[in-house]
Amino acid sequence: MSYFGVDKVLKIFKIIRANGGIFKSYRKMYLYDELKIGKLIGEDKYGNKYYENNEYFYGRNRWIEYNPKHNLEYDGSMVPAEWFGWLHYKTDTPPTVKPPVQYKWLVDHTDNKTGTPDQYVPFTTTPQKIQSWVPPKAKKP
Amino acid sequence: MASVLGMNLCRRSPAFAKHLGLLGTTNLANCSNQKRGAHRWYPDVNWLKQYDTPVLYNERHLADEDGLEKYEERQQLLEKDVKNLFLNFGPQHPAAHGVLRLVLELDGELVLRADPHIGLLHRGTEKLIEYKTYTQALPYFDRLDYVSMMCNEQCYSLAVEKLLNIDVPLRAKYIRTLFAEITRILNHIMAVGTHALDIGAITPFFWLFEEREKMMEFYERVSGARMHAAYIRPGGVSLDMPLGLMDDIYDFAAKFNERLDETEDLLTNNRIWRQRTIDIGLVTAEDALNYGFSGVMLRGSGIKWDLRKTQPYDAYDKVDFDVPVGVNGDCFDRYLCRLEEMRQSLRIIEQCLNQMPSGDVKTDDAKITPPSRTEMKTSMEAIIHHFKLFSQGYTVPAGVTYTAIEAPKGEFGVYLISDGSSKPYRCKIKAPGFAHLAALDKIGRGSFLADIVAIIGTLDVVFGEIDR
Amino acid sequence: MAWKDITDRAATTIFFSEIFRGMGVALAQMLKEPATINYPFEKGPLSPRFRGEHALRRYPSGEERCIACKLCEAICPAQAITIEAETRADGSRRTTRYDIDMTKCIYCGFCQEACPVDAIVEGPNFEFSTETHEELLYNKDKLLNNGDKWEPEIAANIEADHLYR
Repeated sequence: MSYFGVDKVLKIFKIIRANGGIFKSYRKMYLYDELKIGKLIGEDKYGNKYYENNEYFYGRNRWIEYNPKHNLEYDGSMVPAEWFGWLHYKTDTPPTVKPPVQYKWLVDHTDNKTGTPDQYVPFTTTPQKIQSWVPPKAKKP
Repeated sequence: MASVLGMNLCRRSPAFAKHLGLLGTTNLANCSNQKRGAHRWYPDVNWLKQYDTPVLYNERHLADEDGLEKYEERQQLLEKDVKNLFLNFGPQHPAAHGVLRLVLELDGELVLRADPHIGLLHRGTEKLIEYKTYTQALPYFDRLDYVSMMCNEQCYSLAVEKLLNIDVPLRAKYIRTLFAEITRILNHIMAVGTHALDIGAITPFFWLFEEREKMMEFYERVSGARMHAAYIRPGGVSLDMPLGLMDDIYDFAAKFNERLDETEDLLTNNRIWRQRTIDIGLVTAEDALNYGFSGVMLRGSGIKWDLRKTQPYDAYDKVDFDVPVGVNGDCFDRYLCRLEEMRQSLRIIEQCLNQMPSGDVKTDDAKITPPSRTEMKTSMEAIIHHFKLFSQGYTVPAGVTYTAIEAPKGEFGVYLISDGSSKPYRCKIKAPGFAHLAALDKIGRGSFLADIVAIIGTLDVVFGEIDR
Repeated sequence: MAWKDITDRAATTIFFSEIFRGMGVALAQMLKEPATINYPFEKGPLSPRFRGEHALRRYPSGEERCIACKLCEAICPAQAITIEAETRADGSRRTTRYDIDMTKCIYCGFCQEACPVDAIVEGPNFEFSTETHEELLYNKDKLLNNGDKWEPEIAANIEADHLYR
């Protein structure tokens, strides 16, 4: 069976079934360009889901499904810091197993805001050393 | 088959090609009255005078062969002054390998003169280095030949070490050799891949770049950057290799031979590849010496000269490898040399992995190498050294050195003058690509325009090092 | 030349055997799994040493680490860092200005090597491309914010690499 590649065809059906039917599979294809089957490792607080399936080769065996509310406006920078290492194969322990450090001064993750009204605009953090000349007002007679 | 025959015919008989050129120019003159406004010609008195003979246009006369011939002759008189075509090849041409601007003087499709113009990527590296400390100058070397990064660093580090008169630990030597050979494969993949791409075979390029990606990952794991590593430093290497890296390099090296075999299956015996490379870009051994060639360009012509053998540096005297030498000195021989060098590099990599000793990766002179982080945070003396090294840098005793290594492209040399301060007085970089590009006119003269592309590919020019 | 060589060469020329061999290799490659990854969903491997976007770190108490020793400014080969410092109200020395021109930066990692208090680091983030030049002129606020955002990952990197540093 595997010699003629029949098992590959059967696998497609299995993947579609695991993804919840033809329509849901189609939607996933539309959103994520690809249909894969894997184990849900965790979900971060922004609604992104992380999957793993070691049947795929190293480099494709871990993936993220961005929060569907972004539709096609997903971006690579939406991965928060605690999942970053796992997704980039730095560590094999996801933050669900080993929670990352927590400080009260940590801020929320933001994606790359360039091109939006929230983008970073540089400003000086020191008071200006040179003030512009303000002309004295002429005294009214 | 017919096109092949035609191509051979063109190549073999210059007379035939000349005839083709003549036909071309005839066409050119016939359309000289284009509406571009350039060289607009109006009938003048002299021109009208030649038709000042009785002409009788009847049917019988036109049918007469003599009359037609006479008309043809008059047309011939018009085109006396034939100019050769000047063609600007690059800097945007994808086969120009970066920013090469090549002014070609063409006669039809034959190249009469090839004039490479350089300087479009000039960054003033040599002058900048004079204003940087020895530590700060290091990242500039990554950016010279930006497809063989660590070899440049290695050359600079060896030069500084020679001036400092220090030796580096054995493990550092082996790591350097290991990564120099990985770099050699990186570079030759680029050279062979783009050479084939320029000639028209896009497939090996893609396959080989998959392997290149893996080696970039090794770079990234050892240094933190995929290309501009800043890893090999004067006095050793910046950090020890992480655990598990050597296993992965071994896995890669064990499989890479197969990839080379696949490339050879596609190219080596392929008749198109052979027709495009055999007897193209011929360099005789005498010319190769006279024009200052080095590396594969020299070995392809049959001169056995490899700095790794003649004046071994780092751990090259402790590993066993062969140096492939070509016979004919054409593009095909150089391609075979590059492939064989990659296989030899794999041999060296395997030996380095097997012989890798344990120990330090930096020389233990606290005045030259910065202390480790823990040492720096616990010892007062170490932090004083740390501050001194990262602000003023280390001073190098006055002296002069020319240190050369066998970079993948050829002899990469650094001529370093120290005046005893912590900044180099002068740093001259000898780039192998410069001499090779300078000989492009010599090699390419008289060949076809399409062969110029093949020759640029085989020269393996990278403008980071040529323009500096 | 021996007869065998001549017949072999003739056979190769007539029957296109080397072309078919190449085609066979290409066909075998087509049947293999592609090596490309589906980028924003799957990401390539990175190491703890990766040198990406800069960040200024804090101590666990929330106090900023940088003490304005200006070693990073001194070592930076591209002179991308500008620092100004003043004594704070509580008497400790801290920066008032810490600007990095990310368009000048060459990501050599010398600043994080120079830093004696591990304040400036090159973090793991590489997805900070912008549409305009000015967005890459980072000031102290932006860098501290980066640090606050990426601290879990930066701390994990330093821990993973502590054997070698």
